[in-house]
Amino acid sequence: MKAERVFLLLAALAGLLWLAPFAWMAVASMRPDAPGQADLASLWPSGPFGWDNYRDAWESGHFPLWYLNTALLCVGILAVQMVTVSLAGYAFARIDFPGRSTVFALFLLQLLLPPAVLVVPNLQMIVHLGLFDSLAGIAAPYCASAFGVFLMRQTFRSIPRDFEEAARIDGASRLQIIRHILLPMAWPGLASFAVVSVSSHWNEFLWPLMAVSSPQHQVLTVGLASFTLASESGGSWGVIAAGTALVALPLLLGFTLLQRRFTASLASTGLK
Amino acid sequence: MRQLLLAAAALLSVGGTAQAATDIDFFFPVPVQGKLAIEMTRVVEGFNASQSDVHVTPVYTGSYDDTNLKTRAAISAGKPPAVALMSANFIREYAIDQKAMSLDGLISKGGQTPQAFIGEFFPAVRPNATEDGHVYGVPFHNSTPILYYSVEAFQQAGLDPEKPPVTWQEWVDDAKKLTKHDGDHLVQAGVEIVSSYDYLGWLTSGFAMSNGGDYFNHGWGGEVYYNTPSTIGAVQFLDDLVHKHKVMPEGVIDASAASSAFFSGRTAMMVASTGALGFVRDNMKKPFKVAFMPRAMRNAAPIGGASLLIPTGNSPERQQAAWKLISYLTSPAVNGAWSRFTGYFAPRMAAYDLPEMKAYLAQDPNAKVAIDQLAYGEPWFATFNTVGVRKALEDQVQAVLSGKAKPAEAMAQAQKDADALLRPYVEQTALKLPQ
Amino acid sequence: MVAVLLLAPSLLFLAAFTYWPVFGVVLRSLTEKRFGQTAAWGFDNFTRLFGDTHFHRVLINTLLYAVGTIVPSLVIALFLAVALSKPGRLTGLLRTILVLPQMIPLVAAAALYVFIFLPGEGLLDHYLAYFGRYATNWLGSPELALPSVILITIWKNTGYYMLFFLAGLAGIPADLLEAARIDGANGWRRFRDITLPLLGPTFAFVGVIAMVNALVQIDHIIVMTGGGPSDSTNMILYYIYQQAEQNLDLGLASAATVVCVGGLLVLALLSLRTLERGMHYES
Repeated sequence: MKAERVFLLLAALAGLLWLAPFAWMAVASMRPDAPGQADLASLWPSGPFGWDNYRDAWESGHFPLWYLNTALLCVGILAVQMVTVSLAGYAFARIDFPGRSTVFALFLLQLLLPPAVLVVPNLQMIVHLGLFDSLAGIAAPYCASAFGVFLMRQTFRSIPRDFEEAARIDGASRLQIIRHILLPMAWPGLASFAVVSVSSHWNEFLWPLMAVSSPQHQVLTVGLASFTLASESGGSWGVIAAGTALVALPLLLGFTLLQRRFTASLASTGLK
Repeated sequence: MRQLLLAAAALLSVGGTAQAATDIDFFFPVPVQGKLAIEMTRVVEGFNASQSDVHVTPVYTGSYDDTNLKTRAAISAGKPPAVALMSANFIREYAIDQKAMSLDGLISKGGQTPQAFIGEFFPAVRPNATEDGHVYGVPFHNSTPILYYSVEAFQQAGLDPEKPPVTWQEWVDDAKKLTKHDGDHLVQAGVEIVSSYDYLGWLTSGFAMSNGGDYFNHGWGGEVYYNTPSTIGAVQFLDDLVHKHKVMPEGVIDASAASSAFFSGRTAMMVASTGALGFVRDNMKKPFKVAFMPRAMRNAAPIGGASLLIPTGNSPERQQAAWKLISYLTSPAVNGAWSRFTGYFAPRMAAYDLPEMKAYLAQDPNAKVAIDQLAYGEPWFATFNTVGVRKALEDQVQAVLSGKAKPAEAMAQAQKDADALLRPYVEQTALKLPQ
Repeated sequence: MVAVLLLAPSLLFLAAFTYWPVFGVVLRSLTEKRFGQTAAWGFDNFTRLFGDTHFHRVLINTLLYAVGTIVPSLVIALFLAVALSKPGRLTGLLRTILVLPQMIPLVAAAALYVFIFLPGEGLLDHYLAYFGRYATNWLGSPELALPSVILITIWKNTGYYMLFFLAGLAGIPADLLEAARIDGANGWRRFRDITLPLLGPTFAFVGVIAMVNALVQIDHIIVMTGGGPSDSTNMILYYIYQQAEQNLDLGLASAATVVCVGGLLVLALLSLRTLERGMHYES
């Protein structure tokens, strides 16, 4: 139908526009740097290519440290979240207790109060707990995840009760049921959640910026900001492009490989 | 590979090691363009290699403002760095808030009086390093604003590159000849003045002082003079450059935009810190020169740069180790080498007696300009809540540069905002009278 | 009970890092402590907050930013979802491209956009020059800075919202649409009378996420404009950050946080119903 074609064309145009910044990032990062040259902004690959900018960026920043910190942070948060969201998700899915909807509302509310909004009191809280300037201090406010609890509630609900009944008859405790029956069956939901969790925490900036002051605990986002936007590399756009690429590439690659998981997690929030 | 080892070492050192040397950390900013962070790390490694009593971990902490935030945060959390390289105009606040320790004791232990010690540094940098007669900071690198200009552009416009403008009038006349318009649009600007936060307040203070005034109370951190004819006149001058003489683009120009424009020939002149000289030297492919800031009534150059301080909360052991690092960094040889690399001038006067420095100045006359301009150096703007009070001015000047406000009302508003921020301090000091 | 035990880990973190901080910040906002004085109770922080012209500007900017990002993002996201709802190689590729911006940190986007918005040499001005436009100071003019920042946010989030709409569209029963088509309704009528209403819960959900994002996504403002030029990109969260970190005025920062949290809670009350309804749609 004609309308569909037009829409598709417009969407393709949007795609080109959306891609432009990434195209520049790719081209400029490979082009040898010379501030003031005429084709700084050119999107056409031109002239000699080299990895010089990547080498400069790698040497000026502390990328291995930042990668390590960020990976530790995201994995750590995920590990704790797996426990908190599975247990809570199970409770909401299978146990009918008094005040369930009120408690669920309390969880829902957390969606609207992300750690970024509460930086001031949270900062005081982690100083109080002695966690200031540590990866654990950054991780702490993220460990309870309302999104994760919804996801697990939906996931558990969609598993037929027969398996649990059978296990109950056999004398298994709730924890055993969760661990050995429900979690393995909830694997798709958990995987989707893992993808969303890691990608969102990988990109957090304001809270890690405030919770940590020494460079050995800095994460990628904070490191990137100090690297590209402080005057240190001002004007060396090729190096900035390379540095940005170093930060952006892992997630970009991860996303292209794991798209399905990501979209699946959104679908299973029950919006149908 | 090396990076990975460094990273592993950094992680391990968090828990503390059983070395005989005292381990200390050193926060330092990089406020202007250039590969300064790498060079500073190299200098510190040189210190570590030269002795075995102290081991320093250099920590790059961003801009001057960021370094301030990080240092204060670390102090509040009970983990202050042993040494911090702090923007020279923040030293006063650290002294007022008792977040930095007086260095008189450590100086005396070295066998000098504090006065003799500070006397080894250029006069212009001394006021920002002391508060109430006590030494709180040791000047490390300093700058003044200078006028960068393209030789080619001057020649094309029929101007003599050996005769840069000396007065504001000459500056405007030259800028007009250097500006190229296409209808209403600026194709080549006569001049671009960096107007982003921190830079703008610094440069404006210079213009105001050149216009006869004193921008802030040098002896006490509770007063600023925004709503005065000298400051209003200076801001009017900036307004005119954009809207009357049309030699400067409208709006806020940050350092990377100004330098990109200078390198690509889209502006003939640029006002920026001498600390960027190294960066400009490396990246400007066409010949350029530097000159004093043109004057209105008098030459005046606000000092920029940074001094080393020791935050409160450090053990005596750490203080000793910190002092060793500070002495090394401000020794004539090391200080001189840093100056040659960056374009900042070395505040330690003895550095200019060394042969390397003399050779350098003979070879690069541009570097000599900042030193010569020191004769007209003025202290950097420092008050209670310096950043807030400074922003009160900058927001208004940015509005003027963007055509959103007129200088007189802008300065009246800036004064009002600044006074509100200074009020708590004023009430506890000047207005606290005997009962 | 068992339920309490199972919920305990989550509740512990919620209490420590969501609810106790809310309580704490309310208390802090009612405590006044100025230079050289001892703490006292009072509304001074709020008086100062509402009297601050910067804060008035912040409220206006935040509203403009919210409307300026949410409306275009949702409209474009819905359009893209409709355009790309059929499976296929091209649509799949386009969907991936459009979501890529969501995968990078906002500060990385900021680093790229500083160049894109560079006057004269930047990407935007370079290509606009072909259309005869001159160098524009995108991030340095008070009128253009906010739209520029809004542009970045739209670029970043639209793809993500598109995914939600795609999921929502997938849930609309095909037979409903088929029946309407047989009855003679054209594409627009089908869209307006069937698709849009059934997308109600999706709109509500995405709307809430978009509103929270509008408040919370200010990383680019921190690193690109610093709230300027002249306060034109100052948002409520940036104001809080500035008061806390630069002016060390925790009383004012807490008062502003209370206002922000209050606004979010009102949002919660208004949308809680729709959210719950959306959740229960399936059950």
